Amino acid sequence: MNTTLFMREVRSSYKLWLIFIAILAMYISVIISMFDPKLGETLDLFAKAMPEMMSLFGMGETGATLIEFLSNYLYGMLMIVFPMVFIIMLANRLVAAHVDHGSMTYLLASPNTRRKVALTQVTVLLSMTFTLLLICVGIAIGVSQAMFPGALIIGDFLLLNLGLACLLFALCGYCFFISCISNETGRAVMFGAGIPTFFYLVQMLANMGGKLADLKYATIFTLFNPKAIIAGDVSAWWMCGVLVVIGAIFFSIGIARFEKRDLPL
Amino acid sequence: MIKINHLTKDYGQQRGIFDLTFDVQRGEVFGFLGPNGAGKTTTIRHLMGFIHPNAGNCSINGLDCGTHSAEIQRNLGYMPGEIALPDDMTGLEFLHFVADYRGVTDWARVEQLMARFELDARGNLKRMSKGMKQKIGIVCAFMHDPQVLILDEPTSGLDPLMQNHFIDLVLEEKAKGKTILMSSHIFEEVERTADRVGIIREGHLVTVDSVAALKAAQRKRYTVSFASEKEAQAFSKESLDY
Repeated sequence: MNTTLFMREVRSSYKLWLIFIAILAMYISVIISMFDPKLGETLDLFAKAMPEMMSLFGMGETGATLIEFLSNYLYGMLMIVFPMVFIIMLANRLVAAHVDHGSMTYLLASPNTRRKVALTQVTVLLSMTFTLLLICVGIAIGVSQAMFPGALIIGDFLLLNLGLACLLFALCGYCFFISCISNETGRAVMFGAGIPTFFYLVQMLANMGGKLADLKYATIFTLFNPKAIIAGDVSAWWMCGVLVVIGAIFFSIGIARFEKRDLPL
Repeated sequence: MIKINHLTKDYGQQRGIFDLTFDVQRGEVFGFLGPNGAGKTTTIRHLMGFIHPNAGNCSINGLDCGTHSAEIQRNLGYMPGEIALPDDMTGLEFLHFVADYRGVTDWARVEQLMARFELDARGNLKRMSKGMKQKIGIVCAFMHDPQVLILDEPTSGLDPLMQNHFIDLVLEEKAKGKTILMSSHIFEEVERTADRVGIIREGHLVTVDSVAALKAAQRKRYTVSFASEKEAQAFSKESLDY
């Protein structure tokens, strides 16, 4: 890894990072403040009145405990979609944008190998993604303790986030792979954003249940199962392991392709 | 020092470079001439290891350009034909970044180069003129005092005074024994510095010769205008001796 490049990339993307943290901090606080057994009953009424609409967003059941509530309202969509958008944007910046813009020339016209440049960018992507997640976890725990002391089972909550980290790792791997094989940012964003968004839409449909429930086999988001993680189900961790393997495979193919291919510089 | 051996890269439709073979000796300045789109930059991209040939190979200091580019780059200075600089930095920040990134410790040389080209790099790169960016490119190529220099149309965008400064710099480096490959589309641009010149057209090497020989063989063209069509016809019937 090249520290100078690492610092430079962090400096040029920290604003994006702060914006996503701010957005998530707001949603996390609002959602936690909505936790109220009585409000839960109201939401249950909603769920009964229009079950399709609520389950579409992964908000099918309200849950009695704070962690169940959070796993439905926060980890059904917000904590997946916002980090996903952040990953798509950052992964695109780290390789494809440099190639498209031509500034990759300066990164490669140096004693640093392509592999070293790519590994540095992977480090930037993973460390910014995981610090974003860590900060969100900190905020969630802090807000929960302040508003409902002792209501959140922190051990379970951390496990839930470890599962999410596995999903984000897979997304990072995929988006980085697309970024490595693209010459233009347009294409990188189209494939980098298109396929995860498609998978997420499939997940939304699968959430609706009935015949559509089988669609869950057609999306990688199924591999992150908050309910099973909280229930302490071993299969949940098998699936997380698959996510990590998917991420690692995409990272290695991406780096290998970037090392070998012709660059339009 | 620089060896290009049957290098071929076919982009289809007659575009690319075909069976290019020439070399640049240690301590030599080699002018690489050709019209736009002839394949100069494509050749240079192979030397930089950005692209890989369909056939043939090229090497610098005995190291293959495709597989050992990082090692080669340690001692190579490169100026791209089209300078793309990040737009969220000032010139000075960028030069500091490149120096740190390469592991250059001698900042005095960077300052010397900036002074020489009267470069005030404090402004934002985004707002810099072509000439200013070109100067930044020069500083980046020379800052680590490399043994080999590959310069792709280095003087485009520079005013005549700066072009002269640049030629002086190239001559100084040549005197220090540096190997320099410099591309251009104008012969006059390289004739003052180059020992030998290679001319490329539509991807094929047309000739490699010394500057003196090429100068002697240079064709001169004149345009003759006639007052009337009659005179022109008379002139065309004349047997001309040349």
